[in-house]
Amino acid sequence: MKSSSCLVSLLTDDLLVNILDKLSGDDSATKSFRSVCKAFHQAESAHRTSLKVLRLEFLPTLLNNYTSVDTLDLSDCPRLDDGSIAALLGGDTSIDLSWTRRLRRLVLSRCVGLRWAGLELLLGSCTRLESLDFSSCGGFGDREAAVVSCVVGLKEIEMDRCFGVSDFGLAKIVVGCERLEKLSLRWCDEISDLGIDLLSKKCVFLKHLDISYTKIGGESIRSISTMQRLEVLAMVGCGLLDDVGLHHLQDGCPSLQVIDISRCNNVTSLGLTSVIRGRNNLLQLRAGHYYFELSTIVLNCFMGLNNLQTIRIDGAQVSEHVLQIIAGSCKSLVDIGFSKCKGVTDFGILQLVLGCFRLKILDLTCCDKLTDLAISAIAESCRNLLCLKIESCNMLTEKSFGYLGSCCFLLEELDVTDCSGVNDEGLRHISNCSNLKSLKLGHCINISDKGLSNIASKCSNMIELDLYRCKGVGDEGLAALAMGCKKLKKLNLSYCIQITDEGMQCIGYLKELSELDMRNLSKVTSAGFSYFASGCMKLAELDMKNCDNITDSGFLALSCHSKNLIQINLSYCRISDVGLYKLMGNLTCLQDAKLLNLTNVTMNGFDLALRASCFRLKKVKMLALVRSYISMETLNFLQARGCKIKWD
Amino acid sequence: MKILGQLDGQMNGICNAIRNCEWDPKVMLTNLSIMEEKIHQLQDLVHLIVGRRTEAVKGSEELAAQQQQLINADLTSIIVQLISTAGSLLPSAKNTFSSGNPLGSQLGQPGGIGYPSGSSITGNNNVNKVEDHSNQIDLIGNNVEEHDQKDEEEVDEGEHLPPGSYEILQLEKEEILAPHTHFCLICGKGFKRDANLRMHMRGHGDEYKTPAALAKPHKEMCSEAPLIKRYSCPYIGCKRNKDHKKFQPLKTILCVKNHYKRTHCDKSYTCSRCNTKKFSVIADLKTHEKHCGRDKWLCSCGTTFSRKDKLFGHITLFQGHTPAIPLDENKGMVDLSDHGEGNEAPSKVAQTDFDFSSNDFQNILDGKGIANDDTRIFSPLDFDTGSLGGFSDFPRPPFEDSASSLSFLISDACNYPRETGRSSISNNLG
Repeated sequence: MKSSSCLVSLLTDDLLVNILDKLSGDDSATKSFRSVCKAFHQAESAHRTSLKVLRLEFLPTLLNNYTSVDTLDLSDCPRLDDGSIAALLGGDTSIDLSWTRRLRRLVLSRCVGLRWAGLELLLGSCTRLESLDFSSCGGFGDREAAVVSCVVGLKEIEMDRCFGVSDFGLAKIVVGCERLEKLSLRWCDEISDLGIDLLSKKCVFLKHLDISYTKIGGESIRSISTMQRLEVLAMVGCGLLDDVGLHHLQDGCPSLQVIDISRCNNVTSLGLTSVIRGRNNLLQLRAGHYYFELSTIVLNCFMGLNNLQTIRIDGAQVSEHVLQIIAGSCKSLVDIGFSKCKGVTDFGILQLVLGCFRLKILDLTCCDKLTDLAISAIAESCRNLLCLKIESCNMLTEKSFGYLGSCCFLLEELDVTDCSGVNDEGLRHISNCSNLKSLKLGHCINISDKGLSNIASKCSNMIELDLYRCKGVGDEGLAALAMGCKKLKKLNLSYCIQITDEGMQCIGYLKELSELDMRNLSKVTSAGFSYFASGCMKLAELDMKNCDNITDSGFLALSCHSKNLIQINLSYCRISDVGLYKLMGNLTCLQDAKLLNLTNVTMNGFDLALRASCFRLKKVKMLALVRSYISMETLNFLQARGCKIKWD
Repeated sequence: MKILGQLDGQMNGICNAIRNCEWDPKVMLTNLSIMEEKIHQLQDLVHLIVGRRTEAVKGSEELAAQQQQLINADLTSIIVQLISTAGSLLPSAKNTFSSGNPLGSQLGQPGGIGYPSGSSITGNNNVNKVEDHSNQIDLIGNNVEEHDQKDEEEVDEGEHLPPGSYEILQLEKEEILAPHTHFCLICGKGFKRDANLRMHMRGHGDEYKTPAALAKPHKEMCSEAPLIKRYSCPYIGCKRNKDHKKFQPLKTILCVKNHYKRTHCDKSYTCSRCNTKKFSVIADLKTHEKHCGRDKWLCSCGTTFSRKDKLFGHITLFQGHTPAIPLDENKGMVDLSDHGEGNEAPSKVAQTDFDFSSNDFQNILDGKGIANDDTRIFSPLDFDTGSLGGFSDFPRPPFEDSASSLSFLISDACNYPRETGRSSISNNLG
């Protein structure tokens, strides 16, 4: 014992830092590292730079321990409001607030309870902030934007879904934060061409602009085209944008590298042409969901895109000729998306992969003409493939997976949802890709516990597994999974109707599990569920809709153990007033609840449960007929806290 | 003009005399002496004009034209009188005359002086009416300018009516400022109620005394003789005053009211939102309030703009300037109910909120269910023409008062209507 501790002390700080660098991202490993000895603990404390907290009350202690933290994520904090910010920063002068001056990035996404006063206090002390994310703060408006604009050093701002921010707020920000390099305005539908025009004139350093799902028109594009340094421009789902508007972009934005014009319904191939013509340095092109044929003019433009790395033209009409041209001219492609494209054939894929052998990501979702031949070509040529999506490719047989298993050893992500060719034999082949982190087997009705055991035994790095409606999967498979895939974080077992309490008990051994979908598991009772709940302490999201054999005792267990639960779907469950009250009251991180059709809950029960959790809730879904039974006070309080109530 | 009126009256007297009896030397003598008097008067008038001209050589052409027209009119009436006096001697003329033939049709042909044939269509009846008018005018004692029949045909509906081509009415200051909504089309007097106006109209002649006229609004009556009326502002020195050199008449009584209030009265209505803009006409306040805060685009440097794009142009141009965002408002609460409008949202939401609630409240009070939206029917007070909703005359509650976040909507729903509802309650009880 003594000798080992001496050995440990021999490791220099530099070495420890190196080790920590390797461990980064693996929470449990870092945790073990920290508990080795004091020196390790100190090294870890000094090494950690980002912090995501669930409970605000621990924040001061954490921030004092981790002295290098420059990134703070408060997005999952319940109860974050002006008052708690004031308590955190103000009041007691003995509190060490040096962390505020260290912070470079602050994430306040979904902090719906926060308003300008609290924000002013917080941002006022974080003087060196460079990056701020306040997306999905539905209550944020121009006033809050004005507060943000006072942080002059900001380089990155994400304000997606801030529906209240108008041109004025944007004007405040662009005038205040002149050094802005990245700005995301997704869904800010109050922003108009005027605001964008001002932005283009004031923020000359801007490199990254996302104006997806806004109501901007051609005038904005004209303004944007004058931005010399712009590299990334995303305009997804801009319904007011048309070919004429995009034409302004033709000669502008000389530095542009990434363009996303997916889902712009009024743009045709003509608009696409004016966007990509002559852009030799373009790296990424995303123009999905058009549903039009790629004209020859567009193809001619493709020929000039020699440096293109990513191309996504989901939904377009392609032909073998198109694939040939893409393969012939864009030699550096690593990411290709032909999801739902019509006209993708084996021969086309053959030609494509011959040209683009560096391919890492290939999305062929719903290209249902593909056969084993195509997969064999992909497997043969693209040895570096990391991600393959072949959902609904029903012509594929187990042979395809044989090719994949024998060639693509680097494969990390495989989506074979709804591929009827996937069977136990296929899974055996797939399990050879031992680096798999994400495997989607939804609707694969031909697989059984045997196949799943194969996967579980070999793919120990698995993080996400989707077994949606895999009727053949039962308790044995889950047992194997619990033994093999210890790192599993995300699991979907919905409608795997064979699963009983035993299976649930096995899942309880997956200590890392944070998301579980278990809809309609009617063989699972409170006993198995309680066991699961007591095991998975890290559970953050749980969907247990229609699990009608789980009663209050199961829910009580959940309320005792899953203290980190953030999101829950309880619809159609047999929970009673007491169970719901306990659940909503005890789960101190719960922020999002779906409470439809709870037949055992009285109207009073809903009111009580909401009262118990109204400080934390950010989103609730309930039946509309419940509305009249919930007291005005509760409703008003929820609304005042920024909680979004959806009445179904 | 006054003189002309008198002359007309006298002329009518003469006409009557001619019509009523056979040729009478005594009558003839009276007529002649009257004419002599008229000519003397005219002579005096011309003297006066000559005197004035020597005083102010620069007198505007408009004035000169007016004077000339005045004299012409007088001369015409004298000539008419002369001819009619002479005509009474002729047997044939006497016949046509007694049979009620238009006076003017005879006169127009020989004289060619431009006596309008149109005006004489009404013939004798018209003459009677005019007589009635003059009586009535004395009776009511209003300073109504006499209408010059001669020019009736020359009526020009365009913007530039030649001076004298219309009747000029001038309401007294008190009349203008009174909260009246019904105005006499003949003399301009205002009334609070239409019934009172109809009672008043009886004084203007027998035709207003018929049960039909008393029962119905007087619109049918005026279609008979659509007299062009223009209005003069009683404020001396105002361009809209009839004595002004470049007099520009006002078209309607409402115009008079609004003009007088806007230009010659204190601005007593203050906008409850910006607390800076003041208005004297309540309708102006309402229009402003609709746009207040929205159309008044303010920069952080204090400059205001009428249009948003102008403000943004300004911001683009000047370093460090930003749009001003109103700070004294309760944002948080309202944004929840309306994500859409940004900083204008609070006022807007509040507005609609108490609009609804006030109506609901009053409906409940009156037990009328979904009754009329018009709040005026509940109110015993007479509101100004400008006031559209009844409650506009009550002071608005400042938004800050109800700012205690949660109770915001509720407090509006209960407090505010009580204020407006006061009138309706009293109405119901009393």
